[in-house]
Amino acid sequence: MLSLYHWEPNANSGKPMLALAEKGVEYESHYVDLINFDQHRPEYLAINPDGTIPAMVDDGRVFTESTPMMEYIDEAFAGPPLRPSGREERWRMRWWMRFFDSYFAPSLSMIGWSVFVGPAVRHRDRKELEAHIARIPLESRRIAWRKAMFNEFSAEELAESRRRGLFGTQVLERHLTQHPWIAGQSFSLADINGFNLGYALPLSQPEHCNDAKTPHIMEWLRKIYERPATQQTWAKGRTQLASRVTMLKRNAQG
Amino acid sequence: MLELYHGEPNIYFLKPLVALTEARAPFASRYFDPTTLEQCSPEFPHNLESALQLEREGPLLVDGATVLTSSFFVLEYIAESFPAAKLLPGDAYEHYRARAWGQFIALQLSPNVCALGCARYLAPVLRARDQAELRERIGRIEPLERRAAWMAVIDGSLNDTALAAVRERLQMPVMRFEHALAAGPWLAGPAYSIADIDAFAMLSPLAHLAPELVNERVAPRLIEFLARVRARPAVQQALATSKTGKPQEAFVPGAEPSRWG
Repeated sequence: MLSLYHWEPNANSGKPMLALAEKGVEYESHYVDLINFDQHRPEYLAINPDGTIPAMVDDGRVFTESTPMMEYIDEAFAGPPLRPSGREERWRMRWWMRFFDSYFAPSLSMIGWSVFVGPAVRHRDRKELEAHIARIPLESRRIAWRKAMFNEFSAEELAESRRRGLFGTQVLERHLTQHPWIAGQSFSLADINGFNLGYALPLSQPEHCNDAKTPHIMEWLRKIYERPATQQTWAKGRTQLASRVTMLKRNAQG
Repeated sequence: MLELYHGEPNIYFLKPLVALTEARAPFASRYFDPTTLEQCSPEFPHNLESALQLEREGPLLVDGATVLTSSFFVLEYIAESFPAAKLLPGDAYEHYRARAWGQFIALQLSPNVCALGCARYLAPVLRARDQAELRERIGRIEPLERRAAWMAVIDGSLNDTALAAVRERLQMPVMRFEHALAAGPWLAGPAYSIADIDAFAMLSPLAHLAPELVNERVAPRLIEFLARVRARPAVQQALATSKTGKPQEAFVPGAEPSRWG
């Protein structure tokens, strides 16, 4: 049986969740509560020693990188293809996934961690939080958690993240004026990836991402929102993070 | 006919040179010197993606009207274009492993390797140029991140403190390779693949840039791996395209390190 260890349908966790739903693949779902630090508990570290989410286990083989994991899902399972058949479009799918993963998503998630993840845990005892940090395996994640927990993101880095968020939004809008989907003519893993980072853009950046300024992004997000696999996946959400997706309902008010 | 825009056969530029040679693919070499910033001129082949250049300076593979960038994805494109060369062999799991290594190398390893290489080799080259003219040219580079990466090479950002932190950040990636190679001679599975080409291109400079991390005592399997890849005729042939005779000294800023620290 295929097992997926994931948090909310959001960002990296949502990528394999939505890819599996699009393929129609059943899996055993293990909810790993990021806010409760489940990902740093010994039972999870036994699966992914890096303590990052998501992780997938298929026939004893462990997968921990969400973007290559999606390519595996498409390659290993039957169901509708989620990668274009042409080489050029496959290259474009991969290039944009890297742009999302290394440029756009980290900037948006830094803002998300400062306004959602940090405040969700900050009220706890300082000693308890320090003990949690000490259990995080990767240095880069320790730094991120420390900044989120103790509100240590500098004004400069948040401003730079906002600048990149705006730049990324503009570049994406420009791209979607040329292509109906990220890779080109067909829905692909790059759209799944992009939706996971961008479904809440109209709420988090209402002044930059809206029907007047970014009509192509809005239409693209709504088309993905309306897919049955997206409805099914976001219904698994347990927090207000995931429920933000409903603002993509056509004619939704506010 | 494929056209490859590349600099000296080192780091990012070495990867497609090796893959195309392994595949015996006919291609036209378009050699350029990235230290002149020629790649930022409007005459250079470009599209929306190459203008953003996540790896900053190339290489570029041009296939008809298509301009391809990001070196690991160029390797995948070459592997898919020439399937008989079996550059991405095995099943879906081995493909996953190759892609996961490609991502790890691009995000965790390469920015640190390039920082060391730029501090030692690119900075003196740029400092010997007319500074006013150089700064004016760098000042025109778009987008902002690419401009900042070049400016960092000449403005003293790569100082001893910064480089010590870079060396520390390299320990984890180097040991990951060392441990992975305990399972076999190649990174993604039983056979040689684009993951090995990618790793060789980015790891081999560390033997001289960070000998305290990559040496026979602390990383014996990695040293053997580098020798194993280097001995391949296609790698020898790619390295022999050097026009300076010192490809190991050719660096560009490359992809930026994670902003999360």
